[in-house]
Amino acid sequence: MSRRWLIDNQGLFFMVPAMILFAVFVLYPIFYIFDASMYDWDGVNDGIFVGLRNYVEMFTDDRSFALAIRNSVYWTFLTIFPQMFLGFTLAGILTSGIPFQNIFRIIFFMPAIISPVVLGIIWQRIYAPFGGLLADIGFETGARFLVQPYLSDPKIAIFSTIFVNVWQWTGFSMLMYVAGLQGLPEEALSAAEVDGASLRQRVQYIIFPMLRHVHLTLILLGVIGTLQTFALVYMLTKGGPNHATEMLPTYIFLKAFPLQSMGYASAVAVVLLVIALSASIFQVRVLGSRFTIGN
Amino acid sequence: MKTKNPRSPRALVRALAFAFVSVLALVWLVPIIMMLVVSFMPPDQRAPRFGGMLISGVSLQNYVTVFADAEIVRHFVNSMAITVPSVILVAAISSLAAFALARLKFFARDIWFYLLIMTLMLPIPTLVVPIFQINKALGLNDTYLGLILPYTALGVPFAIVILRSFFAGFLKEIEEAAILDGCTPFGVYWRIMMPVSWPAIAVVIIWQFMTSWNEFILALVTMNSNQVKPLTLVPLVYSGQFMMRPGPMFAILTLITLPVIVVYYLMQRFMVSGLTSGAVRG
Repeated sequence: MSRRWLIDNQGLFFMVPAMILFAVFVLYPIFYIFDASMYDWDGVNDGIFVGLRNYVEMFTDDRSFALAIRNSVYWTFLTIFPQMFLGFTLAGILTSGIPFQNIFRIIFFMPAIISPVVLGIIWQRIYAPFGGLLADIGFETGARFLVQPYLSDPKIAIFSTIFVNVWQWTGFSMLMYVAGLQGLPEEALSAAEVDGASLRQRVQYIIFPMLRHVHLTLILLGVIGTLQTFALVYMLTKGGPNHATEMLPTYIFLKAFPLQSMGYASAVAVVLLVIALSASIFQVRVLGSRFTIGN
Repeated sequence: MKTKNPRSPRALVRALAFAFVSVLALVWLVPIIMMLVVSFMPPDQRAPRFGGMLISGVSLQNYVTVFADAEIVRHFVNSMAITVPSVILVAAISSLAAFALARLKFFARDIWFYLLIMTLMLPIPTLVVPIFQINKALGLNDTYLGLILPYTALGVPFAIVILRSFFAGFLKEIEEAAILDGCTPFGVYWRIMMPVSWPAIAVVIIWQFMTSWNEFILALVTMNSNQVKPLTLVPLVYSGQFMMRPGPMFAILTLITLPVIVVYYLMQRFMVSGLTSGAVRG
């Protein structure tokens, strides 16, 4: 490396701190889990090399892992699309100049900034079968369908959990759509209006297609968000009852720490990593998704 | 609604839209109102009904209890001691890198950028086992640094995305003039770019503050001693002690939430533009 080369590549010096952190806390951990996934290892003593046995077990004989995969599919579709629909609707209303629209935006966005740990504890009291908000409303008003074992019935617990997540993140979708709507060219919209297009036509043929980049960003962030869901599930159900709300992150945690099976947990982490990277790279390369709306 | 006045259907639609968002906003706020209401519940009220939405009076006793029985101030200090350094480090490290990626030419520039962006696609839970083991090897479990460093590493890429597109929006001429006058690239970064980049830096600061403050899984696995636990772990620390007493627990939840609400409220005018780095430029 000549002096000349270093002068021409001064930019590298600016990158050094970022690259060091990236190497230690991202790149090395990736190699680490691939390696650890091939051991039967408790995290403390030396592990025993088992080759691909952890993976074989995971895919052939692990009901909890299968449930975590199923729940991830539910979670992906049942959060992303309701959130986008509601967020889009709210953004449309809250950019139309109705009174207090800024206050409404703050209200809908607020859950997104609150810790899922806090929200999990609050929602436990909303869902509680005795003295819970929904159950008591059901008892008092006679709307008995509100009295449900929201978090203790393995059939519905995952949907109760997903519902909280939708509530938390709808405001984020709304804010992205607000930003997208504000970036639309005024002329196209007013031209359509002058030409007599109805509100529905303008939304369907002009506004919705022109917000393509926002839809793509929200889907990308939604998939990544789903794949790293941990705190909310941990606080609401700990992945139970009987693994009915298990997600890949809660399962990694369960295996690695309470069950001291770090080799197996690493194998699950590898699967999660492969799913996350392939889904994201597909969206970025093929669909053209971006992490922010602008660039 | 048949009417000859073309204005009035529109007014009706607007009124309906207003009614819709008003009702929805009220429903949306229920859990947050509940957090506040239960935190003011009198300590002698037993068996709260409606999840605690109906309280028999307003009392500050739960907050007194929390400050007396729980080391809430210590945990607050812990959270600050983890969050503030990670925010400063992210702002410094990402602005340096983003400046280079946006304004300088160097070896394999785009490859570095894509590698860093890959971090954004990585679910943090995939990294808990290795980060726990790295911290163990370095003696960093149960220390602030054991969280500051990973939070910084994981926060830098998004900050780079935001800052890089902001820096890319500047005209070349000013920079070229500065270099002709003998300014180094670092000088351009420090004296020309940074002073006018505060809107983008503000976004990076809010974002990093909120993610570090609320981060849970890494804190859960690396912080074992109550002495160093940040606020996000406090509900778990006291869940046994306050299990049958929702009042103090919800006072804790309110205290955890207050700082992020304050930061968000102060910074919210940057948020819309911040999430859309394109708009930052305009």
